[in-house]
Amino acid sequence: MTEQPIDAKTFDRLVDMTGGDMAFVDDLVDTYLDDGRQQVDALLRAQATGDVEAMIRPAHSLKSGSLNVGALRLGELCRSLEETARGAGAVPNAVDRVTEIAAAFASASTALVKARADRTESGGPPGP
Amino acid sequence: MTVSGGNGGSLPGRILVVDDTPFNRQLLARLLGGLGHEPVEAEDGRQALARLRDPDQPPIDVILLDIVMPEMDGYEVLATLRDDPALRHIPVIVITGVDELDSVVRCLEMGAADYLPKTVDPAILKARIAASLARKRLHDAEREAIDRQGATNEVLAIMSRSAFDLQVVLDAVVRAAVRLCRADYGVAYVLDVGAYRVAASAGGTPELDAWERDHPIRPGRDSVVGRVALIGEPIVVDDVLADVEYLTTPGQKTSGYRTLLGVPIEQDGMVSGVLALTRNEVRPFTEAERALATGFGEQAAIGIANARLLETIERQRGQLARFLSPQVAQLVSSPEGEALLAGHRREITAMFCDLRNFTGFSESAEPEEVLGFLRRYHATVGGLVVEHEGTLEHFAGDGIMVFFNDPALQDDHAARAVRMAIAIRERFVEIGEEWRRRGHVLQVGIGIATGYATMGRIGFEGRYDYGGVGNAIILASRLSGEAAAGEILISQRTHAAVDDQIEAEAAGERQLKGFSRPLPVFRVAEAVGAEAAAGALPAAEAS
Repeated sequence: MTEQPIDAKTFDRLVDMTGGDMAFVDDLVDTYLDDGRQQVDALLRAQATGDVEAMIRPAHSLKSGSLNVGALRLGELCRSLEETARGAGAVPNAVDRVTEIAAAFASASTALVKARADRTESGGPPGP
Repeated sequence: MTVSGGNGGSLPGRILVVDDTPFNRQLLARLLGGLGHEPVEAEDGRQALARLRDPDQPPIDVILLDIVMPEMDGYEVLATLRDDPALRHIPVIVITGVDELDSVVRCLEMGAADYLPKTVDPAILKARIAASLARKRLHDAEREAIDRQGATNEVLAIMSRSAFDLQVVLDAVVRAAVRLCRADYGVAYVLDVGAYRVAASAGGTPELDAWERDHPIRPGRDSVVGRVALIGEPIVVDDVLADVEYLTTPGQKTSGYRTLLGVPIEQDGMVSGVLALTRNEVRPFTEAERALATGFGEQAAIGIANARLLETIERQRGQLARFLSPQVAQLVSSPEGEALLAGHRREITAMFCDLRNFTGFSESAEPEEVLGFLRRYHATVGGLVVEHEGTLEHFAGDGIMVFFNDPALQDDHAARAVRMAIAIRERFVEIGEEWRRRGHVLQVGIGIATGYATMGRIGFEGRYDYGGVGNAIILASRLSGEAAAGEILISQRTHAAVDDQIEAEAAGERQLKGFSRPLPVFRVAEAVGAEAAAGALPAAEAS
């Protein structure tokens, strides 16, 4: 199953929330991407050093932004990692899970940036 | 508040967004701004508390709080807010993910007002913020009402405690007015020979105070104080720089005040003072603040009225003291006075003195002559009462009643009474001689008795006398009636007290009205010098 990296309905909702102000949506997306990169880096570092505790906050932070821009699968991966890290004190398959999150963030980023480029080119309706 | 519109009728608020995720802060700030609110952002709990406690920043109305944050998390923020009396009233809305319902319960238990899901729905955000703002406004209004009531009571307490100290009252009024009307500077001006002069001030720099003090204000359109003086109504100037009639003074330039409020301090319909408040920015006074200031103006008026009343009482007391013993005059205003006036039992010596043949004299003499004589008689006896520190109870017509040992304690009260009686008799020799040459025979008869009496305020509202009730007083009065012209009769008890100091002889037992059995009476011997003079007088019948 090839799920879209960005859920169109959720993204439309974000656009609605801003009253259709696409410039502001672009700002928000930029904020999400900048911050998201830092959270992914933090997750990779925490995984490399085996610091389970240090995974909680980046996972939590990336989760909420992702769910708001429509990166639902990424958000779900983060939620699951956060829950595991918080509860168990150890994360099985940490390498795989963090790598999966990094990959999901990369495809979400690509989709968001591409959607913006398409929109700017066509001047068409908002949304990816 | 500078934000406006877009929140659908509900009042705008200043909302603190506490979230470590920039995306969330940015989104919430934007949404809040769109609703007409003023968003303020904080990245974590520590930053949020620093902002909330910064006295230089405007107060926050509602807090939107994320739970999972570095540095200080949402729980710690809630716990800290709950323990801080200055902050615990600010409603907190917790922002939470759908998977964090357990933490929502914990937050609500810790005092959070409400919660919002992280994927924010603008309609829900709007409704929840409005509800929390309403709660905050209600709390603020209550607190303000309590604060105002407290300040008013405080001023009233000061007024009753220092009713006659105008400075203390005016200081308290100005301080309370500045604080509660959110002014930067306040002055109470009092009218003094045609100009309004600074009587009290609060909140100003020493330079501004000095300038205002050196520049009394006259009635006129060029100042707020002057305008209040002209029309006797509260006056507001929203911006002095935009008011063409307002004359900008160096005082204004020094302090930079812009918005002014002046209310009258009235006495009998006259503007006897003005309470003026200033703000160093253009921020007009609200209707409620004007009403509040007017109330403080009225309190200042009561303070001034009390102070003037005191001046009158002081003046009257000064006049009274020329006749009355200073002890009684002072009693009126001493703290113990009230207790003494309420009544107490004490051993006293009473002296009663009246004129023999006064009725005949007042019938045969011209009224002017009678008044002239009484004036001289009163002045003479009044002076002697003061000299011997007696308490003058009764001073009407020809009868005079004086106590000793009350209210001021005097160990030698009996001796004082007798010495004063002798002095009165001596003086009366001269006065009597003078009147005898005009064809009138006038002499005094004096009675003195010692014993217990109940002393205090006697009479009714508006007409009180300081006096006493007791056998000693009645006995003194009866002895005075018994005394022949120039005679001083004293009771047995008085005689026992002065036996070693004053020469007196037994004058037999007398049956006196109101006493069941005859009482021994003593006659004070004439002084050698006075004897000759008194001897020249013909004895007169008791009047």
